[in-house]
Amino acid sequence: MRLSRLGVVGFRNLRDATMAVPLEGVAILGANAQGKTNLLEAIHYLEIFRSFRGVPDRQLVRFGEEGFRVSADLAPETPTGGEEEGTHDHGEAAKDSVAVVFRRDGGSKRVTLGGQPVERLADAIGSVGSVLFTPDDVRLVSDGPAERRRYLDILLSLNVSGYLDALQRFRHGLSQRNSALREGRPEREVRIWDEAIIGPGAQVMWTRAVWIRDRAQAFRSYYREISGGESARIHYAPGISGTAEWADRSAAAEDFRRSLRRTADRERSTGATVVGPQRDELRFFAESPHRSRDVRAYGSGGERRTAALALRLLEADTVRVGRGTEPILLLDDVFGELDEGRAGRVLELLERSVPGQVLITAPRESDLRLRREVLPRWFLRDGEVTV
Amino acid sequence: MSVIDEVVRHFGRLPGVGPKTATRLVHHLMKSPPEEGRRLARSILALVERIRPCSTCGNFSESERCAICSDPERDRSVICVVETAVDVRSIDGSGQFRGLYHVLGGRLSPLDGVGPEDLRVDELVQRIRGSEGEVREVILATNPSVEGEATAVYLEELVRSIGPRVTRLARGIPVGSDLEYVDHSTLAEALSGRREM
Repeated sequence: MRLSRLGVVGFRNLRDATMAVPLEGVAILGANAQGKTNLLEAIHYLEIFRSFRGVPDRQLVRFGEEGFRVSADLAPETPTGGEEEGTHDHGEAAKDSVAVVFRRDGGSKRVTLGGQPVERLADAIGSVGSVLFTPDDVRLVSDGPAERRRYLDILLSLNVSGYLDALQRFRHGLSQRNSALREGRPEREVRIWDEAIIGPGAQVMWTRAVWIRDRAQAFRSYYREISGGESARIHYAPGISGTAEWADRSAAAEDFRRSLRRTADRERSTGATVVGPQRDELRFFAESPHRSRDVRAYGSGGERRTAALALRLLEADTVRVGRGTEPILLLDDVFGELDEGRAGRVLELLERSVPGQVLITAPRESDLRLRREVLPRWFLRDGEVTV
Repeated sequence: MSVIDEVVRHFGRLPGVGPKTATRLVHHLMKSPPEEGRRLARSILALVERIRPCSTCGNFSESERCAICSDPERDRSVICVVETAVDVRSIDGSGQFRGLYHVLGGRLSPLDGVGPEDLRVDELVQRIRGSEGEVREVILATNPSVEGEATAVYLEELVRSIGPRVTRLARGIPVGSDLEYVDHSTLAEALSGRREM
């Protein structure tokens, strides 16, 4: 997919505007604090209907406004019949549009797809098909395991049907079960929640395990390419006893059931369920001929950034395979943080492997390194875009 | 506050009734013959004064025992356990069930502080024990929600230990619907619960 039009009203410091987005993408230039990241945040909001910065919706509303609206028209990647820009049938274009309205008063969020309201947010998430790279991505590797579970949850909710539903049912069951444990209810009243977490919990773990297994090789080669020949692997450690070498989902369920039985005493004293996908961890190991090191604990800054970039590239692959469409690349000033060698190799990789539309921000013309020759420029100053 | 406003406010508190509908209802009553309003008021009064839970099953009742519990035609060997009295109406409306009911008055939910002691669980056990073997089957018809399922699991173990056979309402595709619009988890349930033709 490509963005063909973007509208923002009342969002952060951005001036209310409707912008035609060039098919090849755009380079957004502007000094710090002018609103470059806000613009990418608005676009990405249409993907997951919350801020990628983890900010509550209310804080996205421009000071003094009642709420905000973000909307976009989406066009197919390759315009059919070689039509020129601007000759799109309007009826057709309107069919592929997504919009969200948030009102501060009451905190309501309304999403429409092709002008039709959707009943559940879950039906609308992932309709843009973008992948966002930010300088904060290194936290995917350096922060605690919750950050990586969040990454997996967003990614798999967007791309694997049934995942979000399983995750929500698991969380619901888990909070009931934990509540029973916390209140010191008799064992019989705790165990009745077991099946409520085992079924959906096993589905969550199985989906995560399969995703990682299927991409282990790609991770290795992205890592090698970005680092210039170093070796690292990705590893999924489920939050139950044993490894994730299940033959199928019911094997995962069986392991989960067994682990629950084994930890009955421990969870009683802790007052919470101590095994399950809420304890899953995603780990990275840098490998040298004689040993392997956990990148999160012992890796260098460069190694962590490399692992994080490889994760984002896997995400782009997942969008391409899962949705059969080239992802829209959103790059928020990511090259400033990388050393020269890595930055150059990432650029090469992106050029080659993610050929779709690109929206990239940079403080100055000289920092702009990707598709410099072909991208039109937008200049952002005090929240206002000029072409 | 004027009488009109007061009645509008009362109507507006009813489920599914917004301020606009409430106003329309009040205007309708004002235009109607006074007897209509009086009849409505009397029936509401009768409702709140005369309806109470049936001492046996917990269903809405106008007397000590509800119409279903005192109906000699009903099959006393089967008890259908439901969360609320409203569910009794739904199931009985199907015309397929001729046994008795037991209303729990909710479902287990530790998050809301609801445990077995807050539901009519003991009453169910007493009822089955008191029947001296007459109750041979207990149908668990709690909702297919996370809480409804857990409540069913809890009751299953409890009831089975006293004797009767325990069954659970089947789950699957709604009659008259289209496969295209059935959600994944319902379809999965329907598949695993498929039957021989």
